[in-house]
Amino acid sequence: MSKHTIELVVNDRAEQREVPARRLLADFIRDDLHLTGTKRGCETGVCGACSVLIDGEVVKSCLALAVHADGCTLTTVEGLAQGAELHPLQESFMRCGGLQCGYCTPGFLMASCALLAKIPHPTEHEVRAGLNGNLCRCTGYSQIVESVLEAAEKMNGN
Amino acid sequence: MHDFDFLQPDTVAEASQMLADLGDEARVMAGGTALLLALRQRMLAPSHVVSVAKIESLRGISFDPQSGLRIGALVKHSELSRSEVVQKHYPVLAAMASQVANPQVRNQGTLGGNLCYADPATDPPGCLLAHGAQVVVGSARGERVLSVEEFLIDYFTTALEPDELLVEIRVPTPLPETSGCYTRFLRTAAEHRPLASVALMTRRDGRLCREARIVVGASVTVPRRVERAEQFLAGKTVTAQVAAEAAEIVAADIEAISDSRGSEEYRRDMVRIVSRRSIGELFGVGAAA
Repeated sequence: MSKHTIELVVNDRAEQREVPARRLLADFIRDDLHLTGTKRGCETGVCGACSVLIDGEVVKSCLALAVHADGCTLTTVEGLAQGAELHPLQESFMRCGGLQCGYCTPGFLMASCALLAKIPHPTEHEVRAGLNGNLCRCTGYSQIVESVLEAAEKMNGN
Repeated sequence: MHDFDFLQPDTVAEASQMLADLGDEARVMAGGTALLLALRQRMLAPSHVVSVAKIESLRGISFDPQSGLRIGALVKHSELSRSEVVQKHYPVLAAMASQVANPQVRNQGTLGGNLCYADPATDPPGCLLAHGAQVVVGSARGERVLSVEEFLIDYFTTALEPDELLVEIRVPTPLPETSGCYTRFLRTAAEHRPLASVALMTRRDGRLCREARIVVGASVTVPRRVERAEQFLAGKTVTAQVAAEAAEIVAADIEAISDSRGSEEYRRDMVRIVSRRSIGELFGVGAAA
């Protein structure tokens, strides 16, 4: 069955790989690129644990094939921190307790990152709407929303 | 997921020829959100997947006051919701697109793919139908223009021939005094698919309804206009009582489906309530209970 050579930029690094057509983007990220921050959750497009950014837009990597990322810029949770310096969202999630078991966190971080790029000053309602595609089975939503709002303040220089 | 060959044609004619040659062994992929689930759950096991993502002529949104809006089949829900011309001239369509599924799926799923899948539990088809939209379908044999009503035949069934692709969606320029609303009902806030939807497009002067289009979706196999309710509203000054009576007609005239997400009776009740509130809010006569 068909194999495809894909070229993409992953967290600022150029990659070229050969993948079978049926390789899911989520599996490509975890099993081929060994970037295991991205989680497989429901694997049916519901939970959002596998969320990553393709060309800056948040997508569910269990609903995409690796070949879909050919020619694209892919950002995973590993791409958020700059060296030892955490992304403001990561700092806020830590400080506000935006995680309990942590399994959903990479997905929430990526969805939050895309949200703040579009809406730098979101209301609480806009944060909730922007995170509508992610589930936290520990149900710690209040702290997650608080984390995003705090990060927004920080990123706007307050 | 079974293995398959992934084909990436550059033109509609090339894709059409592949589909004609491969017959039932091939499936078309646009954004992939629906097809990938069907493949993963092994509901489908095609030998070939024909990706239309590289066909440039299926992209883009354009507006012309004479001919109206053209939406390429590959336009994603998020693109539609953010488009300035759509927000300006078709605010109901833009608002609908901003509510489909969830942010990730809106960035991946396409309007064309959504229509071709013909899943009843979704938003775009009913809203497009209320706007009087048409679809252009193309193949190596040429193009056909169909109304959305003609295109959507039944539960997961469209008028597409095996070698045809959905090329674009056309929405006519709104007439003066046009206003409307699209309302979706979810059983719980965490659901991503509507249980019922009502798209209402009117031409009105304040509370005087000149013309109304009411389309119910999600609770029926395919969205359809409710003509008896449209005729009831036409020419009337809308009051809370008129809104309630129109909503009764809507609920009585639909053929509600019954499944694990909601019984026929429940869906009919929700359609009545959503209809009454939509009409009431649009005409400014309150959304009483």
